[in-house]
Amino acid sequence: MRCRAAALLAALVAVWALSPPVASAHGIVQRSDLPVPEWLFGWAAAAVLVISFVALAVLWPEPKLREDGWRPLPTHIGRLLTSAAVDVLCGAAGVFLLGVVVWSGLDGTQTPTANFAPTFVYVIFWIGLVPVSVVFGDVFRAFNPWRAIGRATAWIASTAARTELPAPLTYPERLGRWPAAAGILGFATLELVISGGDKPETVAAATLVYSAITFVAMALYGVDAWSDRGEAFSVYFNLFSRLSPLERRGRRVGLRRPLSGLPPLDAVPGTVPLVAMMIGSVTFDGAAEAPIWTSIAPHIADFFRSLGLSPEHALEAAFFVGLLAAVMTVYGLYRLGIAGARTGGGGFSANRLAGAFVHSLVPIALAYVAAHYLTLLLYQGQGAVFLASDPLGNGSDYFGTANSSIDYGVMGATATWYWQVGFVIAGHVAALTLAHDRALSLYDRAALAVRSQYWMLGVMVCFTSLALWLLSQANT
Amino acid sequence: MIPLAHAGHWLTSIAYFVPVVGFLLWLGITQLRERRKGRPR
Repeated sequence: MRCRAAALLAALVAVWALSPPVASAHGIVQRSDLPVPEWLFGWAAAAVLVISFVALAVLWPEPKLREDGWRPLPTHIGRLLTSAAVDVLCGAAGVFLLGVVVWSGLDGTQTPTANFAPTFVYVIFWIGLVPVSVVFGDVFRAFNPWRAIGRATAWIASTAARTELPAPLTYPERLGRWPAAAGILGFATLELVISGGDKPETVAAATLVYSAITFVAMALYGVDAWSDRGEAFSVYFNLFSRLSPLERRGRRVGLRRPLSGLPPLDAVPGTVPLVAMMIGSVTFDGAAEAPIWTSIAPHIADFFRSLGLSPEHALEAAFFVGLLAAVMTVYGLYRLGIAGARTGGGGFSANRLAGAFVHSLVPIALAYVAAHYLTLLLYQGQGAVFLASDPLGNGSDYFGTANSSIDYGVMGATATWYWQVGFVIAGHVAALTLAHDRALSLYDRAALAVRSQYWMLGVMVCFTSLALWLLSQANT
Repeated sequence: MIPLAHAGHWLTSIAYFVPVVGFLLWLGITQLRERRKGRPR
């Protein structure tokens, strides 16, 4: 009976997959040279996850990621990379770039693509630093302009006063990573919600406002405490850097096991919302291009217009609602997986489990960023070459590269799709591995650990399907 | 006729989430069977 049902299902799938795309207003949109429809990649990705889950259950019976196996690189390399000179140079470079963003945003042309500020902030910094962090570790900590200015100010003040500065306030534990989550929400709002959020003046003004808030917070709680927990971009890039094989410890730099940087993540308050914000903002960016959103958004905007908002602000309010809905959907899916895991037994509270498994969402966040922004980084990122020579867009040519242009032939549509699917699958398999390893540490029996992960597997399958659907929407 | 005319969009969209539905069905059936067996948790 089962065989007959399976055969019938397989036949239906084959007929659906092979049938020509007929009788639709815009056709079934897909890349014409793919061997199978795009949605079938989603099914294959789900199958890979299920197979990985079974393989983990059979071949990974003991937790292996508690020990990171960190081994230092030769001492002179560590000493050089962590030297005060390198620290000062990197910090100065960060401060210089911050200055260029503000200067070009305020003084340059207001055409976003011809001005250094929007491309640098939204492409090079926000997206480009993610793969750099994943490969080389917490690089942003060295280049962080706010940390560099804060430390330099503290050094100058203590030198001038010839005494130690008063100790900062103790960072409140209950704040955890909430300020960082709020910062990421603010950034996503500027990028995805605010009309004209890519206008150079707006980018520069937002940079100045964020800098002012950061300096006040650093003055109150100390430069390092705020950088570790509150400063949105430090926390954001630090999460991704935990996937890196490289890690700095004191004056040494070393290599650690793949994925072993994430399990030690302390799940302080605000960590789950922060990661949900990271995934949810990319989700909304993709969904905003989907027909389902473009048909709903005007109705939500009409509601806000009926409350007295101008058409522009009503649409912004609608987009903000959409952004929050995407974040809440991601958060809700995760909490659903946790609630399901609780039914497997073990006697853990939902909050305890939510904190215990939150690190497994970081590779998913990476998969979402990598897949969704791959083409933006590849194409728009090339703009940095001519914008570096002409940051204001006024015809200057500082490095002789102002006349270079974007090469759109770097990667074809089909190759891009394969890379995107690869990122999505790799990210979710990494997430499954992390969750499985953590379950083995938490539960006293391996069978109970595996059973608790059924729901988490469901969440991963859901995130995988969602990611590929979002990517397909960008093509419609 | 509009939903039919746009079938290319929503049918394809639904197809992406079939594995999720399939997985949830499997999970639900598994949990029901476990309850019927009365296996201690």
